[in-house]
Amino acid sequence: MTNRRDFLRVTGAVGAGLVLGLHLDAKSKAGTAQFRPNAFLALRPDGTVCISVPKTEMGQGVRTSLPLIVAEELDLDWSRIEVVTALPGPEFKAMQTGGSTSVSSTWTPLRKAGAAAREMLKAAAAAQWNIGVDQCRTENGFVLGPRGRKLSYGHLAEAAAKQPVPKDPMLKQPADYRLLGKRTPRFDGPAIVTGKAVFGLDVRRPGQRFAAVLRCPVPGGQPRAWDETKGLAVQGVKAVVKVPTGLAVVADSTWAAFKGREALATSTTWDEGVGKDFSTLALEAKMRAALMGPADEARRVGDAEKALAAATNVLEAEYAFPYQAHATVEPMNATVHIQGEGVETWTGSQSPNEVQERTAAAVGLKTEQSKVNVTLLGGGFGRRLGTDFSTEAALVAKAAGGGPIQVVWDREDDFCHDLHHPATLHRMRAGLDGSGAISAWAHRIAGPSILRSWMGGQKSPDQASAEAGGALDIPYAIPAITVDFAEVEAPTPLGWLRAVEIVPNVFARECFLDEVAHATGKDPLQLRLDLLGDQDIVKFGQDEADLRRLKKVLQVATGKAGWGRKLTAGRGLGLACHAYDCRTYVAQVAEVSVVKGRLRIHKVTCAVDCGIVVNPWGLEAQVEGGIAFGLSALFTQITWEQGRTVQTGFQDFPILRLPDMPAVEIHVVLSREAPSGMGEPPVPLAIPAVLNAIFAATGKRIRRVPLDGESLT
Amino acid sequence: MPTYQLTVNGRLRHVDAEPDTPLLWILRDTLGLTGTKFGCGQGVCGSCTIHLDGQAVKSCQTRLKDVAEHTIITVEGLSKDGSHPIQKAWLAEDVAQCGYCQPGMIMTAAALLKHKAHPTDGDIDGAFAGHICRCGTYPRIRKAVKRAAGGAK
Ligand code: FES
Ligand code: FES
Repeated sequence: MTNRRDFLRVTGAVGAGLVLGLHLDAKSKAGTAQFRPNAFLALRPDGTVCISVPKTEMGQGVRTSLPLIVAEELDLDWSRIEVVTALPGPEFKAMQTGGSTSVSSTWTPLRKAGAAAREMLKAAAAAQWNIGVDQCRTENGFVLGPRGRKLSYGHLAEAAAKQPVPKDPMLKQPADYRLLGKRTPRFDGPAIVTGKAVFGLDVRRPGQRFAAVLRCPVPGGQPRAWDETKGLAVQGVKAVVKVPTGLAVVADSTWAAFKGREALATSTTWDEGVGKDFSTLALEAKMRAALMGPADEARRVGDAEKALAAATNVLEAEYAFPYQAHATVEPMNATVHIQGEGVETWTGSQSPNEVQERTAAAVGLKTEQSKVNVTLLGGGFGRRLGTDFSTEAALVAKAAGGGPIQVVWDREDDFCHDLHHPATLHRMRAGLDGSGAISAWAHRIAGPSILRSWMGGQKSPDQASAEAGGALDIPYAIPAITVDFAEVEAPTPLGWLRAVEIVPNVFARECFLDEVAHATGKDPLQLRLDLLGDQDIVKFGQDEADLRRLKKVLQVATGKAGWGRKLTAGRGLGLACHAYDCRTYVAQVAEVSVVKGRLRIHKVTCAVDCGIVVNPWGLEAQVEGGIAFGLSALFTQITWEQGRTVQTGFQDFPILRLPDMPAVEIHVVLSREAPSGMGEPPVPLAIPAVLNAIFAATGKRIRRVPLDGESLT
Repeated sequence: MPTYQLTVNGRLRHVDAEPDTPLLWILRDTLGLTGTKFGCGQGVCGSCTIHLDGQAVKSCQTRLKDVAEHTIITVEGLSKDGSHPIQKAWLAEDVAQCGYCQPGMIMTAAALLKHKAHPTDGDIDGAFAGHICRCGTYPRIRKAVKRAAGGAK
């Protein structure tokens, strides 16, 4: 438990105005929970306000949404706010950014911090005016008193810093919000449209060099022999150094490093290592065998096998989802400078605290000797939770005399040495009783374990449930359910991709449910509503889902999309829904047409309930972007042959482009619940909604992603 | 190494580099104009788009030797203070997410409007078909282009 006294305190020196330190890391290990004062919020005497954002910005909008929460409670003048990304360290220990948790995990502490500062400012004004605090109110950067009295926060900041920090400040009621729930443009917009925004690749330090690493095309392989003079012969190349991931070519420009690497490659032979025979074909055969073999249970309700044996009718289908790449538009990179007793890193990371630790360890320094400047991320999607690229850059800098060196991955590096999302096969079975009702549901998932790869090859006790999100929390009331995971080994490093395993699992679940609906002559919406029935709160392990909220979004999305209306031949509507992590409720209806084998996705209607909306513009961006991300995975895949990825660039990984982007219509179901998260929840529904719509349009059931053109003709 | 004369954002610059160096790296590494982005280096993502004599081109596919004596505008030179109609429309529609692909998108949008004051949806499709936004800002790009063209709300 957090020590309440430690949650918030004045940390600024005299003359600095009102500086508050905030303890956000409530869950840190015992013994390390000591609160090292930070400067989370600074109200300066000149009236400017600086907020340190304890999460990293990758487009999901935290540099706007988190300051908005503080500004709301504190009644700040939004135009006078400066936003900085916090520095990882003992002051900010929980900067890891992922899982759509940034708003939900900071919602209460940020509001309390803002409210506490507001009370301190009011107390300072009341003392100055010699009146009661209850006669003061705040508005847009000012404390207002009776008879038109008015003092600015800047003016009051010093005096406010001397006021006691309230332990349980009064929070505003949602009805009084002035900023939350209104469209606020993102904080970094002006810097982005003028080219001034600094991403990892834009870091320029005095004397900086650039490096490219020649890596074995088979992940994990090592160079056996090479001739460094081939690389050094290229104009601008300064050094070739061996690092654990390959051979780094250090040069005075990125282009020279790339050219030097190309020249060096011609002389290099490889020991390709254990992964050299890995192929998608062989993996798929193993996964198919695993669909029938032993597995670890992730959820069990009743006895599904018995119920299947007793069923009047059993439907069965196999669903397939491929390896995927993150494909952030900014390739991986990090800039590192080792100087004396310190190492400094500039990188776009979703795991700044881990970068701080691991960079230090890589160069033989202590964590406190390591400083990490988090830049903007040119896309994250989970790829930048990995620290492989920053550790590699530290090792390059160390081997090449300290730097500063920017290690730049090119597009091929990025595709071939991604921490990929792994392939899965799904064996779906549904037992039907004499009346056509579902009496049993069995979902077997077979594939490599992301969690094991992440844990350095160790099997975690929660492996099965970690790989079964979206399958184990199937919200439908079915008397017998079994969900299990059969692990299949793969030699490639794996990682988290936006919405992770929930994407393939919900794809299989929502498409197979659609199959059941059609097989039993039921409308897919009605079947879902029937299966949700009158359940309200349902528990899945630790989590609780409120199925009334799920039903509501289903009704809204289908109502707005005109579910059930008559469509012309070749057009269809498809539906999918999910209670994401039991926190964000989403339903999507896709409208498609298939004409002469050509698919067009015309529109996706999406209803969401994510609790209180901090910034509707941010929410809508996440829905639009999440749908684009989800739809891309309908067309993209990574396949392996002889240990190598077949795809090496955007040219063979067809991410959705503007001309193919459907219209997206968003309906927010208003709620007074605490906000949940929006980055991932829209992603998993796009594929099943579209595939179910294709079935409605054509009668063709597609159970395999990516969609190949032929399956529609 | 030969020396080349380029006009970048209205300034005459002298650059010593190999003739086949992509303009992208001259801008980013030699001239410090990092607003132009590296996404693929293969001409397939559009992040590196600039204006060459008023045309939108991919700077990763443009060699230094071919641009001497030509006029180059990058996102930094589109306006002095972010006041180009496209930049204003971009902010008004809150287009950007991570922002990385956006300078390229903005340069393409500005070139499109220069050549066609009132682009149709088909024109917009055509202009942006060579770009990738992994964050999926496409619906707002379309809106922002229309707004800048004076056609939208
Ligand atoms: S970097 Fe030039 S098109 Fe991708
Ligand atoms: S805004 Fe992130 S790639 Fe386009």
